[in-house]
Amino acid sequence: MGERKKARDMEFQSFVVGRWPRLLRTAFLLTGEQHAAEDLVQSTLEQVYVAWRKIAAADESDAYVRRMMINAHARRHRRRLKEFLAPRDDSGLVPEVADTGDRISQADDRGALLAALAQLPPRQREAVVLRYWEDLTETQTAEAMGCSVGAVKSNAAKGIAKLRAIPGLAETVTHGRRL
Amino acid sequence: MRGEDRERNHEMTQTDISLLLADAADEVEIGTAPVQSVLRGGRRRKARRWAVATATTLVLAVSAGGTLAVTGLPGGATGNGHAAAASTASAPTTPDERHVYTPLRTQIGAGTELGQRWKVTIEVWGAPRTKAEATRQVAAMALLGLRPAIYGKDADRVGTYGNASELIGKTSHFVVRDWQGHPEKVLMFGTDASPGDLTGTDMEVASLPFADGQKDLPRLVVGQVAGTAPKVECTWHDGTSTVVVPRTVTGFRTKWFVCLASENTYYKSAKVIG
Repeated sequence: MGERKKARDMEFQSFVVGRWPRLLRTAFLLTGEQHAAEDLVQSTLEQVYVAWRKIAAADESDAYVRRMMINAHARRHRRRLKEFLAPRDDSGLVPEVADTGDRISQADDRGALLAALAQLPPRQREAVVLRYWEDLTETQTAEAMGCSVGAVKSNAAKGIAKLRAIPGLAETVTHGRRL
Repeated sequence: MRGEDRERNHEMTQTDISLLLADAADEVEIGTAPVQSVLRGGRRRKARRWAVATATTLVLAVSAGGTLAVTGLPGGATGNGHAAAASTASAPTTPDERHVYTPLRTQIGAGTELGQRWKVTIEVWGAPRTKAEATRQVAAMALLGLRPAIYGKDADRVGTYGNASELIGKTSHFVVRDWQGHPEKVLMFGTDASPGDLTGTDMEVASLPFADGQKDLPRLVVGQVAGTAPKVECTWHDGTSTVVVPRTVTGFRTKWFVCLASENTYYKSAKVIG
């Protein structure tokens, strides 16, 4: 392998190691499932590798990568590829037996939220995750989703409204977070 | 509910959503980043990008028909491109000198199949410098039934056709198979700002059917290697192999090669040797 290519690969490897945790968390919220999240991030990073020269030179490489991941996520829905949107019974996210302990309560919250997210249409889910997890501005979210700011506002508002309307989550929100 | 209460409630909900999302995101198990796996996948995608371009090209080749064969050759080049290379050596300035509107052609492989002669040629179109040049280049290509591989604005959207401005500063190439008694077929194409960026034993290779139908096995292997590569060995699935000397192509820093397997076998691997 040539020296230049080797240096580029090294740079790319550092990027992967550094961004993996954050991208995986975002992907987890988008897909609702560990393996689907890993698959989404890995395939996104493979695409990043193909365009690495261009991306490494870009001012906002993270924004670029985020957009690629959102595109990949949207594409999977369009093509109706297999994706596990809701936590499965054996995932441990939604305990079958209720418990009053804090840890279980937290698991309830997570389970309720992931289940609620899974019920949102993909664009609303993307808007909610980018706005409230990635903490992006409406403009940044619009860039990541490749749509207008108006569409972001609309999708995020509808998403939040639907989340609030889901009894389990509404209760969680009403009583505040339990840390 | 009063306005400010509603607002506070709204704010609280959004803050809670953020906190809940953060909490839910913590649920995912962050293992070690699968760096090697990503690299392998990325390299496969890079190779596949070529193949995707190839597949698209095969469709275009239908409209190209036999018209490419009668294209006038720039600089009087008769196949290997050397005559044209001499004309471009002294910093060409006009679009014609840079072969923006008429491509340079270099033969990179030849042989006989079913008693008919065949050859594979690469056409290189010089990089346009202005939008006007780019637009005229696209029109010149269209006359030959060709369309350049302009990449979309998004890095992950390859093979899309954008506007002509995206060709500015980029060299385009088309690899064409000419087989006696058969219509010409464009095997693959590409558009790149720095074509042929390979070193050492790096290689980009595509295997595809030689005949016109898609039923043929991927017997034809076309690839590029670093300019320093002396020989390439193509290995076939039946265990046999073919050694070829890659050829210099004007407009590329890399050399190109072509291997063709016999009728009953097909591509397995290729590597730089010697």
